[in-house]
Amino acid sequence: MLEINNISKAYGEGTAKVFALNNVSLRVNEGDFIAVMGPSGSGKSTLLNIIGGLDHTSSGEVILDGERIDNLDENALVDIRRGRIAYVFQQYHLIPSLTALENVLLPLTFCGTDNKDQKALGILKRVGLEKRAEHKPSQLSGGEQQRVAIARALVNDPSLILADEPTGNMDRKTGKEILALFDQLNKEGRSIVMVTHDPEIAGYAKEVVVLQDGQIADKINQEGGNRC
Amino acid sequence: MKLYQVVIKDIMRRKKRVLYASLGVVVGITTIIAALTIALSGQANIYGQLEKYGANLMVMPAISDVNVGLGGLNLGTLAVGENYIPEDKLPEVRQITDGKIRAAWNIKDEEPIATIAPKLYMSTKVNGTSVIVVGVDPKEEWQLKTWWKVSQGKYLDAADEALVGATAAELMGFNIGDKITLNGEDVTVAGILEDTGSNDDYQVFVPMETAQQAFDKLGLVSSIDIRALCSACPTTEIAAAINGNITGVRAVAVKQIAETEMGMQEKVSKFLIGLAAITLAVGCFGVVNTMTASVHERIKDIGIMKAVGASRNQVMKIFFYEGIIIGVAGGLLGYVAGTLLAYIVGPLIFGGVAVTYVPQYFLPSLALATLIAVIASVYPAFRASKIRVADSFRSL
Repeated sequence: MLEINNISKAYGEGTAKVFALNNVSLRVNEGDFIAVMGPSGSGKSTLLNIIGGLDHTSSGEVILDGERIDNLDENALVDIRRGRIAYVFQQYHLIPSLTALENVLLPLTFCGTDNKDQKALGILKRVGLEKRAEHKPSQLSGGEQQRVAIARALVNDPSLILADEPTGNMDRKTGKEILALFDQLNKEGRSIVMVTHDPEIAGYAKEVVVLQDGQIADKINQEGGNRC
Repeated sequence: MKLYQVVIKDIMRRKKRVLYASLGVVVGITTIIAALTIALSGQANIYGQLEKYGANLMVMPAISDVNVGLGGLNLGTLAVGENYIPEDKLPEVRQITDGKIRAAWNIKDEEPIATIAPKLYMSTKVNGTSVIVVGVDPKEEWQLKTWWKVSQGKYLDAADEALVGATAAELMGFNIGDKITLNGEDVTVAGILEDTGSNDDYQVFVPMETAQQAFDKLGLVSSIDIRALCSACPTTEIAAAINGNITGVRAVAVKQIAETEMGMQEKVSKFLIGLAAITLAVGCFGVVNTMTASVHERIKDIGIMKAVGASRNQVMKIFFYEGIIIGVAGGLLGYVAGTLLAYIVGPLIFGGVAVTYVPQYFLPSLALATLIAVIASVYPAFRASKIRVADSFRSL
């Protein structure tokens, strides 16, 4: 469903030019669960941003369902963000003035569909937060906030979920609960690309891509492998 | 949930910031509303006076003020001329006045038309208190002062009667039937006037002959008030004719005075409104400034909204909605503050003019404030819509 071919991303000019990504190619098939690993600064987040059209490439192409999206303008990218690709961030990135329910409703508001409270409540229930629907993000724990963020990602029913260190701010137990949620979403048939630096978390994925200095250093297929 | 609801919820969290942002609009609208309210009150005041006194002229003794001094030092002025008008000029005044009105309206009837009310002003002491005694022609005076109402007793009738202004009666404790001695002449208080808000309240009115006798001014009057038939009557022409034909007097039409005053007020009003427009423009820049700062503060929120599907137009709309709210709040506060300012400053600028609030200005002030705030939002909204998601998260 998603294909990236020979992607490079450079910052700076001339001798000061630094490659965040250097000639990276990757395929994400339907139902994939790919973990992108690597040390800080290896280009993990940049890769994820480019996949989702949040950032521009210096060269190479990104193809989503047979259509190039790396050269699309802002208005066309909006369509992709409204239902085909959704994001989950390490910092949760919830809107502080809105309740959990309203945060989940936000993508629908931008789509122009309102009065979907029941749908949003159903998704909150799914992530185990129906009792926290009227709480503001500041009144929720980190794990709860991330559940809200996942519910928000799910509300438009995306086929691909991009997650940038979704458990990075959590203790081990909470992190495991969140990962179990991602695992479930993957079993439903949604593709997931998740950035992490924790090998244990990467263990949930079907495929692990190791980035080093902006290049793919290793690809490990662990289909049916260790799932603790 | 609608987009505007998202904006309102966000604004409720940042009430102080939004209020601060609207301050520029508030100051601008305040000055505009204050200037317009004061200007309108000044104008209404003059129109009110014109309606009441528009048909009036006043004839005074022609007194010239001569500057006296030594070398370049001015030691003051000296009034030169007669202080009184001989009573025998009254028929002449009537002839000229009625003649002009007849000519203007093509009236053939020879009956007297205008009200011609001579007055003799005298300062005296009654029971040790200074008071102005005015000798009047009771019948003519009643026709001239259509707004007079007798609150107690009756109007002037006999020669030994007096009519007392409301304030004078109160100050000196006069009651109906009291005897007053005016320079040796006894009169009885026959009536007390209702409050008029004018100088009349402080004066004591007696029939002309009584005053002339008491103060030894037989055949003399201080001034003559004329009320022409109508406001549209040629009062300015009458004044000119009197000035040209009768020596020793000076006639002025109220209309002339009002017109001069109106011109002055217009100039002051224009100046005030110009000043207010500049304030509003400056306020507009203030809004641009605070809104741009607000965009900067909310880079992250804007990034989040874009990441979950907000289009550029929707991001701009968010800031326009905010502009509308800032404008409405600013217009509301500005209208109230401007009206209050007018109440305080108006009487200082136009010498005691009573200011009344103008409800018709309320909606336009909201509309103008909103327009200004929305215009001020254009640039910040554009900036916000250009923010790229990846950049907004990187800046954290």
